[in-house]
Amino acid sequence: MKCPMETRENDVLLAYSSRKLDAAERSLLDGHVENCAACREFVQAQRAVWDALDAWEAVPVSMDFDRRLYQRIDQQVSWFERAMRPFESLGFRRVVPIAASAGVVLMAGLLLQRTSVTPLAPPRDTAQMESLQPEQLEHALDEMDALSQLSRPVRAGKADSEM
Amino acid sequence: MNERVNRDVGAGATPLDLDAELMLRVKDGDGASFGALLDKHRMAVVHFLYRMVQNRAVAEELAQEVFLRVYRSRETYEPTAKFTTWLFRIATHLALNALRDGKHERVLERLDETSADMPARQVPDVRPSVEQSLVYQDKLDEVRRAVAALPEKQRAAVLMHKYQEMEYTQIAKVLNCSESAVKSLLFRAYETLRARLAHMA
Repeated sequence: MKCPMETRENDVLLAYSSRKLDAAERSLLDGHVENCAACREFVQAQRAVWDALDAWEAVPVSMDFDRRLYQRIDQQVSWFERAMRPFESLGFRRVVPIAASAGVVLMAGLLLQRTSVTPLAPPRDTAQMESLQPEQLEHALDEMDALSQLSRPVRAGKADSEM
Repeated sequence: MNERVNRDVGAGATPLDLDAELMLRVKDGDGASFGALLDKHRMAVVHFLYRMVQNRAVAEELAQEVFLRVYRSRETYEPTAKFTTWLFRIATHLALNALRDGKHERVLERLDETSADMPARQVPDVRPSVEQSLVYQDKLDEVRRAVAALPEKQRAAVLMHKYQEMEYTQIAKVLNCSESAVKSLLFRAYETLRARLAHMA
């Protein structure tokens, strides 16, 4: 086989050093490492690194880690979620928003219905009459009067011809 | 829930890991599932952060922030990646920020401290003599110094590779780089560690 050091396949040697290769791959490398000084040196040094890192145990987690975390979570939870918490076990969490949405839709429907029974705006004529000023009314009456005077001789002439 | 999981992942996609399923339950308002995720990953996250920043108080503070962010993101969570990839991406991001913000100075101070404040679990079970304890402590300090001397990304890659036993692809996703970049990071990191620690064999 080709030397992993020459082909720069260090990941194969890393896996071999940490005994992560499967049996077939391992036996292939076993023979090579035995005869290749560079690979043997790499594997020995890498195993020393693994052992040194294994010796480094991490510190235990504080007993009150969860309590502190939930305290921080609680500080950020909204009033709505806090209010809903006692009902979570009853499955209210899903029901309440649906009920609230249904309520909003119902309210909107009622408002629309109320708008539809509101009386229509008064006819335009009435509005115009209401907006007439006294001067305008007087002027209109004068005009009507003038028109009726104009029509009188026509009627008289007509009556004469009929006779 | 299975229907929900299948729908979210889509046909032909790989099935979700159990953690992602738990997270989807958290999204649905199941607080117990968040507790299960915390139980499962608390130690791994704290240990990873401890080895990154090498300060217990800072590590726990950062770990709290990690889980707080997980909880806060529950509404928008989508299982697009393995849950642990997402979790360690948050943890690595926070650790790198903490180191850049100068908390690493506290780390170096900490490394110079005596062993008086070291947790009891770090001492082997067999009652050692004072001399053995000192030798062990020296060895441990040497390992910690060697890891602390690695560039931040190399350090994160080594810790995920060695202690979390992550594959190259997952480390690449956590560090947001290519798989070949991870191999290169690990190659350089282990080269440095071999030079510093090989004599400990």
